[in-house]
Amino acid sequence: MIRTPLRPLARILEARQKGENPDAIVRENLRIRHEQMRDRARNRAEGRLLVLGVMFFCAFSVIGVRMGVLANSEPSEPRAQVAGASIIAQRADIVDRRGRILATNMDTYSLYAHPQQMIDREKAIKELVRIFPELNEDRLRKDFSGPRKFLWVRKKLSPEQKQEVHDIGEPGLLFGPREMRLYPNGHLAAHVLGGSGFGREGVHSAEVVGTAGIEKFFDEELRNPAREGAALELSIDLTIQAAMERVLDGGMRLMNAKGAAAVLMDVHTGEVIAISSLPDFDPNDRPANPTKGSPSDSPLFNRAVQGVYELGSTFKIFAASQAMELGLVTPDTVIDTSPPFKIGGFKISEFNGKNYGVQTVEGIMVHSSNRGTGKIALAIGPQRQQEFLESLGFFKPTGLEIVEAAGGKPLLPKKWTDLSTVTISYGHGLSASPLHLAAGYAAIANGGHTVTPTLLKQSRPQLGPRVMSEATAASARVMLRKVVTEGTASFGDVPGYSVGGKTGTADKPKENGGGYYKDKVIATFATMFPTTDPKYVLILTLDEPSENSGDKPRRTAGWTAVPVAAELIGRVAPLLGLRPEVEPLQQAPIVLSRN
Amino acid sequence: MSYLEYSVKTVPSGLRKVLYLSWPLVLLLTAVASVGFLMLYSVAGGSFSPWAEPQMKRYLLGLTAMFLVAMVPIWFWRNMAVVAYLVSLALLVVVEFFGSVGMGAQRWIDLGFFRLQPSELMKVTMVMLLAAYYDWLPIRKTSGILWVLLPVILIMAPTFLVLTQPDLGTAILLVVGGGLMMFLAGVHWAYFATVITAGVGFVATVLKSRGTDWQMLKEYQFRRIDTFLDPNSDPLGAGYHITQAKIAMGSGGWTGRGFMQGTQSRLNFLPEKHTDFIFNTLAEEFGFIGAVSLLALYVLIIVFCIISALQNRDRFSSLLILGVGLTFFLYFAVNMSMVMGLAPVVGVPLPLVSYGGSAMLVLMVAFGLVQSAHIHRPR
Repeated sequence: MIRTPLRPLARILEARQKGENPDAIVRENLRIRHEQMRDRARNRAEGRLLVLGVMFFCAFSVIGVRMGVLANSEPSEPRAQVAGASIIAQRADIVDRRGRILATNMDTYSLYAHPQQMIDREKAIKELVRIFPELNEDRLRKDFSGPRKFLWVRKKLSPEQKQEVHDIGEPGLLFGPREMRLYPNGHLAAHVLGGSGFGREGVHSAEVVGTAGIEKFFDEELRNPAREGAALELSIDLTIQAAMERVLDGGMRLMNAKGAAAVLMDVHTGEVIAISSLPDFDPNDRPANPTKGSPSDSPLFNRAVQGVYELGSTFKIFAASQAMELGLVTPDTVIDTSPPFKIGGFKISEFNGKNYGVQTVEGIMVHSSNRGTGKIALAIGPQRQQEFLESLGFFKPTGLEIVEAAGGKPLLPKKWTDLSTVTISYGHGLSASPLHLAAGYAAIANGGHTVTPTLLKQSRPQLGPRVMSEATAASARVMLRKVVTEGTASFGDVPGYSVGGKTGTADKPKENGGGYYKDKVIATFATMFPTTDPKYVLILTLDEPSENSGDKPRRTAGWTAVPVAAELIGRVAPLLGLRPEVEPLQQAPIVLSRN
Repeated sequence: MSYLEYSVKTVPSGLRKVLYLSWPLVLLLTAVASVGFLMLYSVAGGSFSPWAEPQMKRYLLGLTAMFLVAMVPIWFWRNMAVVAYLVSLALLVVVEFFGSVGMGAQRWIDLGFFRLQPSELMKVTMVMLLAAYYDWLPIRKTSGILWVLLPVILIMAPTFLVLTQPDLGTAILLVVGGGLMMFLAGVHWAYFATVITAGVGFVATVLKSRGTDWQMLKEYQFRRIDTFLDPNSDPLGAGYHITQAKIAMGSGGWTGRGFMQGTQSRLNFLPEKHTDFIFNTLAEEFGFIGAVSLLALYVLIIVFCIISALQNRDRFSSLLILGVGLTFFLYFAVNMSMVMGLAPVVGVPLPLVSYGGSAMLVLMVAFGLVQSAHIHRPR
């Protein structure tokens, strides 16, 4: 662009010659230049404005045409559902290891009232009381005639109830859609699932939140829309769980126990295949937390996970295993179990004051000698004993994926003295949950690795660090097998499944301190099968059992927990796909009755 | 071309200014507001409470504010632009931390008699600031990269605050309004081309990535976008508003069902019937003819703004008038497209018609500025 100079020399010289002021020329040129600039800017602005105008016009046209199209359209009600639209439940389902539903969602309705809009309050109240007998007529009358504009009547309705309320024809009674959590199997696996309730509630929907168990533990996860409704797969097998609860319930009644718990665990993965605590509840209608009585007697209390008990002689195998692992003893080492055996001023005695005399380590296990085990434990010493039990997980909660697991905190002695070492070696002075025990036995069963109990389905073995050698674990298993074939757990033999295990009968401590009950025990049978190549451990605990068929009540685990466990193993082993190892039975010769 | 180059003496002074007001504009605004009163009266079931009466009071208040603003010389307002912008920005920050929460979003400052939405205020003060900026900036610098970046920052700062409230509708209006102001001021078109291409490219890439290994959003986020863009896919959920709104318009037909005869709106099918979706009530009761008439009123207001801006030789004044016109246009264009299912539902009121205090008052003040520019234009 050629610019006119502000001070064109020729014109200035000319002006000077004429005696005019050359500044006038500069001002004149400046003005012209300004005007040119302004014109250019103005032209440009008008160009821009034109573009904008065209855009405006287009927008107006589009809106106008759209108005016409809509005005011309037939008004039609929207369809309730677009075909093929996927309905994604707000909360993910929970399924067992074979994909069978444990918890799912169901659409239902809530019922609420706008009392101010009611036409015939009296009739509505009468009808409501008829449909829902649990409603209080006077209370309703008071609520409906009060100043409240809104109140809930029922949080969940069945379709029949909804229809009946509908038939009242009262415009002040309204329904809101709801999604509710449904546990189609009722009581089954109640303690695992826990339960759920409504969180924030609105008229048009309500938030379902987990209130206990795995529902609460994975609440965030189950509600996460990024899951896209993918089900949560548990390690639980519904079939096994059902069989376990059935047998356990029968066993609990037969043995007059007030409670029972059982855990069946895969020894290689730590997967809990079935876990049960009786009495239980229906998660569809979870009872309120108890306000009186001992919380540990409530159906909501999970004895298998939350309950920590002195598990008695079941602990003895840990002392024996550790002593073998440390090279202190072999299964054939001979130990004198005769009295007296005093430690820290306390006399250690045997069950019913028996005396087993001189025994091998194996014999100590088979006869369940307290003195023998105590002597082995003394050789190990408190420090090493603590390390070993800690490595097996007895020092902290199990970490199972239900909120209650955090409450299952083992009780340890305040000061780990030599006396503690001895008593703990036979299961007194340290309280742990049956699930802890299952994890400890799993380490022996799988050849020496720790496992972490889990409720989630695993696709491969989850072995932790090694705590004992393969050989030690194998020797321990031989002892456990002999306990069943020759020792205290002789009722535990299940033909074909080579059961091995250890009994434990612990006196119950008095609630308010001060010693132990003479007639209340916790009877436990810790077992694994098949001992030749263990796949599962089963811990079965009965709370205050009493077997009364003899002339005086028998309470030891050998008479109570063991037969129940044997029944249970006989029932679930085939369901687990284990083949019996026995020789085929002698077949009766075929007799042809007719020829 | 700044005012300093013209003689102030040619501008009317004192009460004579009233004669120089643009009375046609006042008339148009009143006509539009009256449509609003009528519809609010109708959706309340033939009653002045709870909506029509307060709306009338607010309109009178707004009219008074408009006159007061119009009486003050436009150069005063130009000098106040920066202050006004900073005050609205400060209010936006305040609402971010202390505001009341309503309908899931935090937008108001409760002044007791009146709930102020700083984001509404921001729409006008930003127009003022941009107009003052381009008035101050020498024209040859308009397209310099730094001089383009500065207004972009001035636009993005309040937009960001509004987005966190979250108020998508207002954020869109701010960005588009500010961008168009820059366009009008003569920023080189290449900037706009770049930004638009980049934006479209980015969105396209994100949407294209769906279903591939490198998909950038989760599947459920894509589904939300689907429903946002096409509410028909979820007629009882997210698309409920829009489905009912379209039914309302369809049932209005060409001539409408008649005043106070709209079923969709009167029977509570239509949500937000007195605010964002009031246009559907109008369309249902007065049909296509009523809807187009309202549109025509809006068009006349815009046309007035354009003519007034072309007549005005003061750069600040003409940019301000166009900016206010633009904001007004964006309001109703977005609202109408939204309620007719042309655009996603983002929550923008129908200007001067929807029930609501802040938007009404702020728009009336904005038209006060337009009037001031009109009165005090260099002659």
